[in-house]
Order: sequence, then C-alpha cells, then structure tokens
Amino acid sequence: MRFQDAARDGRAVVYAGIQAEPIVARAAGLLADATTPQRILARAVMNGESTDPTAWMTMFPTLFGDEAAADERARSEAILAAALEIADRGEQVRSQLRGALVEAVTAALLERRAGTAPVRRERRILFDGVRAEIHPYDVTVEADGAAEAYDCKWGARGINADVLHQLDDARTHALDEEERLFVALVIFDADRSCRVRLDRQTAPTGATGLVTLETLDTLAAAPPTSRPA
Amino acid sequence: MPDPATLETVLARALAAYDDLLGLGEEVEDEWTYVNDLGAAWRERLEAAGELRAGAPISPPVEAAVDRAIAEIGAIEDPHRAIDWLSTFPQVVLVAIGEQP
Repeated sequence: MRFQDAARDGRAVVYAGIQAEPIVARAAGLLADATTPQRILARAVMNGESTDPTAWMTMFPTLFGDEAAADERARSEAILAAALEIADRGEQVRSQLRGALVEAVTAALLERRAGTAPVRRERRILFDGVRAEIHPYDVTVEADGAAEAYDCKWGARGINADVLHQLDDARTHALDEEERLFVALVIFDADRSCRVRLDRQTAPTGATGLVTLETLDTLAAAPPTSRPA
Repeated sequence: MPDPATLETVLARALAAYDDLLGLGEEVEDEWTYVNDLGAAWRERLEAAGELRAGAPISPPVEAAVDRAIAEIGAIEDPHRAIDWLSTFPQVVLVAIGEQP
C-alpha cells in the first residue's frame, strides 16, 4: 500500500484554488475549537437564506444572549462572520467552499494527534495489482502500520454507495497486503440524519467509521474504527 | 397581558413549518424515501422533546428564536436546500429550547 498525490487535472487545479482561499483556513480554525451548538450555527448559516447577522443571533439565544460567556460569545460572533462570508458567495462557490471547509477542519483535528505522521489532502492509495480509484481520498493520515483515509462531506446526502464501496475496498485491499487502514466518513451534518442515510445503503458500512457534526472532536483523540451504535 | 408561550405551542408551530419544508424536499423525486425517513426521525425527536417538558413555559427569546428559524425555512424555495434544512432546522430548534441536538 502506498500513497500518491492525485493527478493535477483541471478539476484538481480549480479545487486547489478553493481550498487555498483564506476564508477556508480561518473558518476551519474556528470550527476546530467550536462547541456543537456553534457548529450547528455555522452549518445553518452556510445553508441559509438570510445574510443579516441579527437574524442568526436571534435564532441562537444560547450563543448570543446575555447568559453566554464573553469568550464563547466572541467565538460565536467570529464563526457567524466567517459563515456569512461563505454564504454570501454564489451557490456553486459556496458549495465548493463548504466541502473544502469540512476537509480543512478534519485535517486540523487530525493534526492534533498525528504526531510525526503526515496528514495530507487529495491523495490516492495504491495497492499492488489493483486498479487505482479515480477519486482521491479527501484527507489521509499516513502513519506506518496504522494509516487512515477519510472522505469528507458537507451533508448526509453525500453518503452514497460509491463512497462507501471506495472506503471499504481500500480497507480490504490493505488487509490483503497485511496493512492496517482505518477508513471513515466525516459528515458535517447531524448524526441522526447520517444514520437515516446509512440505514438505506446496501454497501458495506460495518468497518467504516462515522464522524458527525456532534462527534468531530473525536478525530483529535483516536482513529474511528467502526460506526458507533 | 398574554399568557407566556409554552413549549408545546411553539413546537406545534415548528412542526407545521417542518411539514411544509418536507413537502418542498419531496419535489426531489430521487430522494423521496430519504426525505420522508429523515422527516419521521426528526419529527419523533422534536415530539419527544415536547412531551418531556409538556406545559413548560418558554422565555420570549426562545420563542423568538424558534419563530425566526421558522421564518428562515419559510424563505426557502429550492427543494435541495430544503433537504439540507430538514436536518438543520430541528437541530436549531433543539438548541434554542435547550435540548440535546
């Protein structure tokens, strides 16, 4: 098993530009340290219609009301500003930025525990005698003996058979080479919604981890070995 | 002076708005089953939150939060965005009323 940069085709070049936008790193840094309600705020704003910050502050009284601690309120305000900046872009760019953001948050949290193992983006995983997948993995942790591969999605609707097969195939090909590869989905959506989506899938899911909006912080603790009950 | 709003009355408004949102999401034919499964799962969660604190009064800021969230989903015209909000709206409401999202 070995890792390789994805081909620099037209899509990759355009997407690299999206990933490099400063707002992605800024928002990812904020969301990596955010609470679950703050992450829900970010998702709502970036899915939303309103661009008036007052509307969102009204919608989240626990984050912006009098009882909110000053430092938490300051972070909520920064998250709201960053999310509005993304929401204010055209529909297509907004969608690309959201995808890049989930990858960036994932990478930021993984780097907190990866130590010397490289955390990389847009990587392919190659196995002897196996045709390489066209689509690269969004984030990888390339640790000797215990590598990890993540597919990141903005919403539960992004979960589909192709994604699940690609992750599970990589895991089993690694086993064939007596290597260990943890695979997981990172979905910036509600756990309940992800499970509804997963329950409708016939592709293998038993050994694929699931990290959701509520459990993002677990990325910084340990590899998600399988879907928790 | 009007009686303070209760959780039940506010959640009833939220669920009515949620049903409208679900109807919009159903326009994406390929996702009809998912939309309805999702709607059922979140309706169950919101109803459970209401039953747990039946009759409990809620503060004006909480009522305003839920009403603002209802207005937000009322402005959605795109069925795909409606599906995104079938997941997001219940979480916003649950956070507003102080329940685990």
